[in-house]
Amino acid sequence: MHWLSRFIRRSRAQEQLDAELRFHLEQQIADYLAAGMAPEEARRRARLEFGGLDQVKEEVYEAQRGHLLETLLQDVRYGLRKLRKDAGFTAIAVLTLALGIGANTAIFSLVNAVLLRPLPFREPGRLVGIQNATYPKGGFAAMRRQIHTMDPAAYDDGHEFTLTGLGEPVRLNGTLVSANFFSVLGAKPQLGRAFSPGQDEAGRDAYVVLSHALWEKVFRGNPSAVGRVINLEGTPRQILGVMPAGFHFPSPGTQVWIPLGIDPRNATDYWAQDYMPVIGRLKPGVTMAQAQAELRLFQSHVRTMFPWPMPENWNAGLAVEPLQSVLTGNVQPWLLILLGAVGLVLLVACANVANLTLSRASIRTKEIALRNSLGASRPRIVLQLITESVVTALAGGTLGLLLGGSALSLLKTLLPGDTPGLGDLAVDWRVLAFTAALSVAAGIVSGAVPAVQSSRPDLNVSLKSSGRGLVSSASRRARRVLVIAEIGLAVLLVSAAGLLIRSLWSLSHVNPGFSATHLLTARITPNESFCNNAGRCVAFYRQVLDRVRGLPGVSGAAMINTLPLDGRVNKRSLYLEGRRQVPQDSPLVWQNIISAGYFRLMHIPLLRGRGFTRADSTGNPPVAVVSAATAQRFWPNQDAVGQHIRFADSAEWITIVGVAGDVRAFSLQQAIPPYMDGAIYIPYGPLATMENGRIPAGMTLAVRVDQDTPELASSIRNIVGNLNRDVPVSEIKTMTTVLSGATSAPRSITFLFVSFAGIAFVLGAVGIYGVVSFFVGQRTREIGIRMALGAQTADVLRVVLREGLSMTFAGMAAGFLAALLLTRLLRRFLYGVSPTDPLALGGVAILFALVAAASCYMPARRAMRVHPVIALREE
Amino acid sequence: MNEDKSEFLKGTLDMLVLKVVALGPIHGYAISQRIRQMSKEFFQVQQGSLYPALHRLEDRGWLKADWRDTETGREAKFYSLTAKGRKQLETVMRTWARLSDAVALILRTAE
Repeated sequence: MHWLSRFIRRSRAQEQLDAELRFHLEQQIADYLAAGMAPEEARRRARLEFGGLDQVKEEVYEAQRGHLLETLLQDVRYGLRKLRKDAGFTAIAVLTLALGIGANTAIFSLVNAVLLRPLPFREPGRLVGIQNATYPKGGFAAMRRQIHTMDPAAYDDGHEFTLTGLGEPVRLNGTLVSANFFSVLGAKPQLGRAFSPGQDEAGRDAYVVLSHALWEKVFRGNPSAVGRVINLEGTPRQILGVMPAGFHFPSPGTQVWIPLGIDPRNATDYWAQDYMPVIGRLKPGVTMAQAQAELRLFQSHVRTMFPWPMPENWNAGLAVEPLQSVLTGNVQPWLLILLGAVGLVLLVACANVANLTLSRASIRTKEIALRNSLGASRPRIVLQLITESVVTALAGGTLGLLLGGSALSLLKTLLPGDTPGLGDLAVDWRVLAFTAALSVAAGIVSGAVPAVQSSRPDLNVSLKSSGRGLVSSASRRARRVLVIAEIGLAVLLVSAAGLLIRSLWSLSHVNPGFSATHLLTARITPNESFCNNAGRCVAFYRQVLDRVRGLPGVSGAAMINTLPLDGRVNKRSLYLEGRRQVPQDSPLVWQNIISAGYFRLMHIPLLRGRGFTRADSTGNPPVAVVSAATAQRFWPNQDAVGQHIRFADSAEWITIVGVAGDVRAFSLQQAIPPYMDGAIYIPYGPLATMENGRIPAGMTLAVRVDQDTPELASSIRNIVGNLNRDVPVSEIKTMTTVLSGATSAPRSITFLFVSFAGIAFVLGAVGIYGVVSFFVGQRTREIGIRMALGAQTADVLRVVLREGLSMTFAGMAAGFLAALLLTRLLRRFLYGVSPTDPLALGGVAILFALVAAASCYMPARRAMRVHPVIALREE
Repeated sequence: MNEDKSEFLKGTLDMLVLKVVALGPIHGYAISQRIRQMSKEFFQVQQGSLYPALHRLEDRGWLKADWRDTETGREAKFYSLTAKGRKQLETVMRTWARLSDAVALILRTAE
């Protein structure tokens, strides 16, 4: 009730003022009466002298300082008037700040949506994630029994299920979850119910929860879907519930949630399959530190529960952290770097506007000097000038909000779709508050230097000079410093952009180890149960391959379980012959299962030995091919061909028959994930089993085409459909698409950086142009005299260029120094280029020198055309 | 421009008011009378200038005010000088002296 008390205070003050003035009037009347005047006359005269009572009161109010708000309003009104009169300046300043603020608004919206806004779950503050640790089903089951500080839930993303029996078979993305997954998150289904305790145990788990989108798509939003039984991957499951539209955990692509199916009798599945992330809800009153302490203790004895010894360092770095930071951990550095970049853009914009204001202030010097000499105090003038800047910046901020807001949809497409919170990207009150605060700050920053500078009581200079007025050298220095700072910041941003471009270039010119052109790929996914009979599965694929090879325009076809760069990974532990055969020492490799002819089809070179023949697919004798790096790592300075390996869960020795070229299968930067030791290839056949003891059901078909045949995709679908109606074909795309998908994230980041650097760069160029133009304008007379005395145009050009280029070089020196210090932060985002790459930085230097020269040239040309007589007459 | 000019004049009035109040607690009406008498009827201080000046000076902490009874037993707002106000008065008086000396000097030498 602050306003009320102020109002009361004010009305009391009013009463007192009334009393004071009344006293004055009555006193006057009394004096006149005492002097012998008639009462009527005395009253009339006193009133006349006193003047309008209300007017006096009004003036008293105005005289009272304290009313900062009113002074401010007055300044704002004055500023608006001033800005309207100077529409050109205002437009440029507002637009410049709008660009700077708009970029910040957009990036901040992203930071807000992803990092700041709490997760859309009940009491998100108590939701935690276990960082740097994953557990198999057995480990999780033990944790659930033994941990008391929190309620843990596990989920395993990235599973695929084929939905059959409802028209065309559909491939669905699913997440395996523990029964309490939804209750831990505090999420309730929109329809039906979630899993009940115990429904994640094998045999009691024939249930499924659908995403809202899937329910709309398959059941057209019909509530009677709940309770129905659907066939997923050959297993009937009853639909328990449908989640609301806004529920997207763990990823927006999740279409079904399926119970974990915990089965302690299946030791491999229980202890070795699918290491899962664990999240949890802290019990009331428990801190994260307490939960972490309990988990550490648990960690030390869960290790002993495994049927085999677990390495000491398994989950050794576990940490309990807020769920949000666990989920956004990998995008956070990107966002912070982007936020830094837009911050720099705004600084450049502020410097530019400050510069513009300074050059305008030199025109207003006389106005200011006059105000000053008439008694307006300096702080008063500074305040007035800064208010003007803030008004400009607020206009810029409003426009920036529109710009930034409209860029949001663009930003959404630029970032990886699974970025958490991205779906809810919007301008909310936090973004509004941020933009408002930023606008005021930008106004103060861009207004402070000019205000202090031009309010300098330099009366003599200002009042004496006529016409355009000389500018004090201090103000000129300030302008130069601003431009140098602007160029420095622009150089920093453009350098960062240059490095990212170079990095993107090397990334997209990486030799992935195979040839991606003229290659079409398609994922074929029979049900797991279809491959219970391995022979049936192998025969099915052999028929698919034979028929696809017979299609017109097709020159070859092969299959692999994990196509390079499509995100699938298949791990397997093995032992090397002649080495210690204990689990702690067993290397983890990527087990590729391929059809004969895969290497030839993909143009993967065989460096040693041979590839697979059809005979190898029988698995008897068992053979394998390793990648070059794997051969080097496992058998340095030896021939890998002829060596023997066996899988950790098998007694059978496999002979290495060949060494293939390395393939960037995990990412364009890395052939294999950092936690793996190598990559091996096994021929597809009835004995080509994976860690779960089964042969892969889903395989990716790769087809090399001679000519573009648009109907190839449907031909493949027909072939598969004719062989088995229940097998879906999905992810039909060219290998070049797969390849460019691997560079999409760096591409979007580079795009953003280049846009920001572009803004800074243009502003920097405008800054140089502005100062040099102004310099020429100031020196018109001097140039005229020089030319009258015989100076050549070349001399004039030199003077002007020196003015511009000296600033540019100083700015570049500062910028590169900053770049050397700061681009190190980019290191983790760079590939194949050092943060001090001479080519990128050299290119930036040349670019800036050229633009500076161009920015100087236009004013210089004006200077060279100065006619001596006209210049001299001008004064 | 107009507000600037009045700002200049305000400065002079402020000085006169401070000087008068420096002589002891005094109410608004008496201040206007005192200035008129002391300037031998030269300055006719308008209420529209006097009261804004008084409130401005009070606002800046140069004057303080309290309500007390006059000799005739009526309640009136009496102003008196604060320590800050006394210092301000000295400053402006010094400035004024210098200014008027300088003006006088010019006028004399120009004769």
